[in-house]
Amino acid sequence: MSALRDYPPPPDLIRGRVAWIFGDDFDIDLVIGVENIKSYDADFLRSKVMREFDPTFADRVRPGDVIVGGRNFGYGHPHYPPMVALRDLGIAAVLAESFSPGFWRGETYNGMPLLTVPGISTGVTKGDNVAVDWRAATVRLDDGTELRGTPPSDRVRRVIEAGGSLKLLLAEHAHQPADQA
Amino acid sequence: MPSTIAEKILARAAGVDVVKAGDNLPVRPDYMIAYDFPGYTDVMFKQMHDDFGIRTLAEPHRYVVFIDHMLTKGTEQEREVHQVTRDWCEFYGIELHEARGIGHQVMAELGYALPGNFLIHFDGHISGAGAFGALGWGVRRDLLEAWVSGQIYLDVPATTRFELVGELADGVDSRDLVHHIIGEYGADGCAHQVMEFSGPGARGMSIDRRQGLCGMAMFTGAVSAVFEPDEAALSYARRVASTGFTPQLPDEGADYAAVHTIDLSELRPRVVLPGSARSDNTRGVDELAGTPVTKAFIGSCASGRIEDIRAAALILDGRKVAPGVELNVVPTSDSVHQQAEREGLLDVLRAAGAQIARSSCDFCFGYQKPLQPGENCISTGVLNISGRMGSTEANIYMGSAYTVAASAVAGTISSAEGVARS
Repeated sequence: MSALRDYPPPPDLIRGRVAWIFGDDFDIDLVIGVENIKSYDADFLRSKVMREFDPTFADRVRPGDVIVGGRNFGYGHPHYPPMVALRDLGIAAVLAESFSPGFWRGETYNGMPLLTVPGISTGVTKGDNVAVDWRAATVRLDDGTELRGTPPSDRVRRVIEAGGSLKLLLAEHAHQPADQA
Repeated sequence: MPSTIAEKILARAAGVDVVKAGDNLPVRPDYMIAYDFPGYTDVMFKQMHDDFGIRTLAEPHRYVVFIDHMLTKGTEQEREVHQVTRDWCEFYGIELHEARGIGHQVMAELGYALPGNFLIHFDGHISGAGAFGALGWGVRRDLLEAWVSGQIYLDVPATTRFELVGELADGVDSRDLVHHIIGEYGADGCAHQVMEFSGPGARGMSIDRRQGLCGMAMFTGAVSAVFEPDEAALSYARRVASTGFTPQLPDEGADYAAVHTIDLSELRPRVVLPGSARSDNTRGVDELAGTPVTKAFIGSCASGRIEDIRAAALILDGRKVAPGVELNVVPTSDSVHQQAEREGLLDVLRAAGAQIARSSCDFCFGYQKPLQPGENCISTGVLNISGRMGSTEANIYMGSAYTVAASAVAGTISSAEGVARS
């Protein structure tokens, strides 16, 4: 866990482009390849991230860009390095039709906004500009179209605002009298 | 308000009268369980101590730690990993269960998975506790939240109810049922939900088979699975319990996301293609008949129980593992191992050429005898993603203990029915 990065909380409105659209049941480990899922080395991850999908991906992504998924995004046995690789590039949120529970919990812990937005996988095109209000789970396109998803619970909102569960827990519980643990 | 089993267990654990699907609230697990693994327990203990300043625990009995991974190489790294865990457990007064078998089984034998209990773990296969009418939920790194605060914020899940009727045919196992469910309803068919099993087919199913089924819940997208506790579950619980427990049954009129009826007698053996357990990888064994295998594995937290070993012995009795195939059998716990020895089952397996290993998690995650490039393995393990049991260039097929044993005899993927006829 110490190898995980420290990412700041997202801005109120995430502005960027749709960097990629994945299909249903997408296994996040494929972002870097299953043979690379134990590395947290930044240079190594950058050299592997999305290579099998688009060799120019790492160079063209800008901070604030988002990725889009279909149903059950994150299915499989998700490891942490693939999302580290994407967040290192500046990917600021994942918008999907639905999320696999294990992936959802693991990455929410890490403070990544994961928004369930029905219709997102067919409602946007790669390269579209999007403005994402992650608290309201709304996605606005340049043409004014707005897609509405499921807003995160109050607890998840606080986790994301804190920059991840660990930081929220530290704010809530650090150095408390031991008998309250 | 009528409630599902999961809602009733979570309401009790949250200390409120009623919860309903969609609520988000803090819940106090009866037990907060982990196995020692580098990057998890060592990091979490250090965070508790260094970052949170926690020096003593008010309720150390709610923390449970198992040593069940990394037991088979005898290396210095293993010794260091386990010593760190021993030191922390001693410091905090946490009960440590070392090398007694796979924690998800040993927790049942030691009376943690009692009807009505709520258990969390960082590992999702804790859902096997559902066999006893307990709710086991894998929360990944959020286990730290519970460890430092005694509670964890959770979304109360909706429930899909499965009414099981009929009986499994000879050579068919609850493992085939879980792959049937994934095949029918998809890898997200129960996403973020609890699977609740009921009906005469559920009551007729052995505890071992219930554990194997519930332990695989995550592959339907479910966060957990639970059987209605019946006399079989209650009598097991009374035998192992050292605390009281409160069995929970669903209320008449409880609200379900879906209700499915499945006739167990119609199920046939299933095999999952290498990659993952998702729907389009699920096949009838007959469709894959003839696929050569070099390794066969019976074990993991989803198999290797006495029923699985009996199934393997039934198939292997008087037969031999095919030349060029290595069959490894790992009982789920030391206690299962001893019972299998007493019943003479391991003699049958050894006579057939199987290798029996001491109980641990080590085969299932590629630590013990890792698969080599180009190998095909048929496995009762929980995962068949690339690289799970060794080389990323090996192929892992998954099926029941019957199917694995039959395939080991044939040297190719085969159903137990096929071997019985030969």
